[in-house]
Amino acid sequence: MEVKSIALGVEGMTCNSCVQTIEQHVGRMNGIHNIKVSLEDKNAVIIYDPKLQTPATLQEAIYDMGFDATLADSNP
Amino acid sequence: PQRSAMPKHEFFVDMTCEGCSNAVTRVLQKLGGVQFDIDLPNKKVCIDSEHNVDTLLETLKKTGKNASYIGEKSAQ
Repeated sequence: MEVKSIALGVEGMTCNSCVQTIEQHVGRMNGIHNIKVSLEDKNAVIIYDPKLQTPATLQEAIYDMGFDATLADSNP
Repeated sequence: PQRSAMPKHEFFVDMTCEGCSNAVTRVLQKLGGVQFDIDLPNKKVCIDSEHNVDTLLETLKKTGKNASYIGEKSAQ
């Protein structure tokens, strides 16, 4: 199975409850293997199946929840 | 003033911080056509809108938080 990893910048989180909400909500989506949200770094690191999700759909999912998600250029 | 006779819909949304209430604000603004007040300490959102209750509840649930309809609240 193909797996990709991406880091998205997330703005607007202020507490651990915001963090948990995003982790739970996005974690339930199809093709998400793992998600780690950091309040300190204001980002979300997501490991996903590129057949089921794209950076754009992940960004939209977080945006739909009422947070700003930005795609960091992270192609090493 | 002429809108004050309109009943408002009151919802419970499990918000715990500013970030939560900001997220609620943003999803409601994206929906559009709503006037609302957020009562963070009491975890209540009071909405005046032409959208039906189901649409409003679906929108609130997009934030990933627990949300439920409390009932109508007539504006005084």
